[in-house]
Amino acid sequence: MTEAVTTGMSLVLPRARALTDALVAPAAGGVAAEELRVLREQLAGDLAALVEELPPGERLRLDSFRFALAREHPERLTSVDAPFVFSPALCRRAVGLSAVARCVRRWSPSPAVAVSEVLAAGAEDGDGSDPTSRPPWWAAWYGSLGRGARAMVEAEAVTWATQVWTALEWDRLAPAPLVGGGDDWWDCPGTRAMTLRGQADVRVRTGGRPALLVVGGGVPAADWRGALGFPALVCALARGERSVPARVVGLWPSSGQVRILAVDTGALVDTATAVVCAVATLVDARIEAHATRVG
Amino acid sequence: MPVPRFPAPADAFRPPEGEDLLRRLRGPATDRPEVDPGLAGGLRDWLEDGLADVGAGSTDAPAEAGPVRVTKETLTGVLLCEAHLVARRSSPRVVTEELARGSLVDALFRQWVTTGRLDDPWSEALDAVGVDRDGDPVAAFVGELADERRRALAEEITEQAAGIVRRWPVPSPGWLARTQERVVVPLVGGRVVMSGVVDLAFGGPAGARASVCVVEIKSGRRRVEHRADLHFYALLETLRSGAPPFRIATYYTRTGELDVEPVTDDVLVGAVERVLAGAVRLCRLAGGAEPERTPNGLCAWCSDLPRCEPGRTRAGTDVPRAAGDTVGDDDLVLVPTGLTGEGGDVGEEGAAR
Repeated sequence: MTEAVTTGMSLVLPRARALTDALVAPAAGGVAAEELRVLREQLAGDLAALVEELPPGERLRLDSFRFALAREHPERLTSVDAPFVFSPALCRRAVGLSAVARCVRRWSPSPAVAVSEVLAAGAEDGDGSDPTSRPPWWAAWYGSLGRGARAMVEAEAVTWATQVWTALEWDRLAPAPLVGGGDDWWDCPGTRAMTLRGQADVRVRTGGRPALLVVGGGVPAADWRGALGFPALVCALARGERSVPARVVGLWPSSGQVRILAVDTGALVDTATAVVCAVATLVDARIEAHATRVG
Repeated sequence: MPVPRFPAPADAFRPPEGEDLLRRLRGPATDRPEVDPGLAGGLRDWLEDGLADVGAGSTDAPAEAGPVRVTKETLTGVLLCEAHLVARRSSPRVVTEELARGSLVDALFRQWVTTGRLDDPWSEALDAVGVDRDGDPVAAFVGELADERRRALAEEITEQAAGIVRRWPVPSPGWLARTQERVVVPLVGGRVVMSGVVDLAFGGPAGARASVCVVEIKSGRRRVEHRADLHFYALLETLRSGAPPFRIATYYTRTGELDVEPVTDDVLVGAVERVLAGAVRLCRLAGGAEPERTPNGLCAWCSDLPRCEPGRTRAGTDVPRAAGDTVGDDDLVLVPTGLTGEGGDVGEEGAAR
C-alpha cells in the first residue's frame, strides 16, 4: 500500500486488512522543525489579524465542523451558534468511541455489549449521586430519557461503533492505539480570541510518528484533503514537529469510501491557507450577525 | 378417502420463529458464496457509464437543487409515473396512520434487536420517534389523533410488538447487528447519489466469502414491489462494501411472513438495470424535462389528477382521494409502498440521517 492509493482501495477485500496496512505503512518524509516554525508564525499572524475584526468580547473556536461549514455552506454559518440540541445521532460518536476503546482493551467482547456498558456507566455517573464522578457530556440528557428513546441512543451508537470496530485489524496495531482520546487544542499566539481544535477518532504510531484515523459521515466532500488536513495541522501546531502525523486516513463507512492524506509541509501549508479562508468567512458571519442584532 | 374442502390445520401457514427464523436468515455457514473481487467494480462501472451523459446533463438544473437522489421510493415512483412523482414532491408531506405505524414498528424492532427488551411497546415507540432533535412528524401526528384512532393504532402496535418478541430471537452480539444503517453510493462525481437505510444488517465485513445478511421490516401488507426494494439494497451494499450480501429478506411484522432470497449475479444485474432506467428518468426530470404521464393504479390518489387527462380516465374521476384512504380499493395492491403512505419510511427520501 503506497501513500498514493486513495479511492481504489475501497474495492480491496478484506477491507480491514487494507485499511490497517494503509494506516500503519512506514512514513515517507516529514516536516522539519524550521518549516513548522515558519508555518506557525505565518498562520498566527494571519489569524490574529483576522480576529481583531470580531465584535467586542467575541472569541472564535474553529473545529472540524465549523471548518467544513465555512468552506462548504457559508450561508448556514449564522445559525451554527444556535443552542445545542441533543439527539441519538449527535451522541453516537462519543458513546461509540468509548465502546470501541473498551473492545480494544478487551474489556468488552463486542461493540453491542460495550455500548450497553458505556451507557450504563454514563447513566450511573450522570445521576448526581456521586459528587466526585465526572460524567460524560451526554450522560444527564441520556438519563432523562424514557426507555424507548434510550434504546435509540444505544442503537445509533452500536451501529456506529460496529462500523469502526470492523474497519481495522486491531490486533496488528502496536503499540496499542488511542481510541478517541483528548482533542488537540492550539491557542493562537498574539490573541486570546482564536483557538483551533482538532479531533481524530483513532491515533496509532508508525515509525515514531502518529497516524490518524478520522471517521466521517455520508460521502467525502469534494475537498476531502482539507477535512483530513485539519486535524493533522492542529496536531502539528499543538504538539510540535515530532508529533506531525505521518498521514491521516479518512473513512466514510456509509459510503465505504477511504481517502488517505500523506502529511508533508505542502499538505500543512495548503490546510493552513484553507483555515485562514475559513476564519475570514466566520469572522464576516459574526460581524454580520452582530450588525443584525444591534441594528 | 374423502378430500377435505379446506386445508387441514397442519397445512396452515405458521410464521417462522426462533431458531427456524434464524436458520432461514443465516443458513449454513458453508453456503456463503465466494466473493468475486471484480464484481462490485464492474457494477459500479456499468452504472457510471450509463449515467455519464445524463448525470452531466442534470447540471442544467439549478445548483441549489443538489444531486439527483435515487432511493427506493424515487426509483419506484419514477418508474411508475413521472408526473405522479413530481406532483408528490411538490405536495406537503402527509403523515398517515400507515406511515406512522411503519415508523413506530421500525423503532420497536430496533429496540428489540438492540436491547432485547420491549416492556411497554406503545409508550416506548412514542419515546423513540420523539427523541430526534428536529421533532418527529410521526410523534406530532400521533399526538393529534382522535382518541379512538389513537387507541386502535396503539393496539395494533402492541400486537405487532408481541409478534416480534415471540418470533425474533435477540441476535447474539457476535453477529454484529446494525440497525437503520445508512448506505450512500455517489455516482458520476456525486451528481447522482443512491441511498437507503437498511433496517437490519448483520454479519462482519466480507473477506473471501459473502458474510452480510440484510433484512427489511414491513409493518403493512405484502407487495410485489418489496422484492425490487430488496434488490436495490443488495446493490447498495455491494457497491458500498465491495461484496454482495449473502441473503436479503423482508420480514412482515403483521403476519410474521419472511421472504428470504439469496443474492445472485442475476439479482444484482437486474437491480443495476432498474436503477439505470429510473436514474436516467430522474436526471431528465432534474434537468427540467416535462414528466411523462403513465396511468396506473395510483392515479386516484394523485394530487395532479385534475390536470392529468390519462389519469382522470384511469381513475374515473377528477377528484383525488386523500392519502391513506385505501379502504376497499383493489388497485392499491398494484401500487408501490411509500407512495400512498402505507408502510413507508418517514424521511428516508433524500434525508441526511
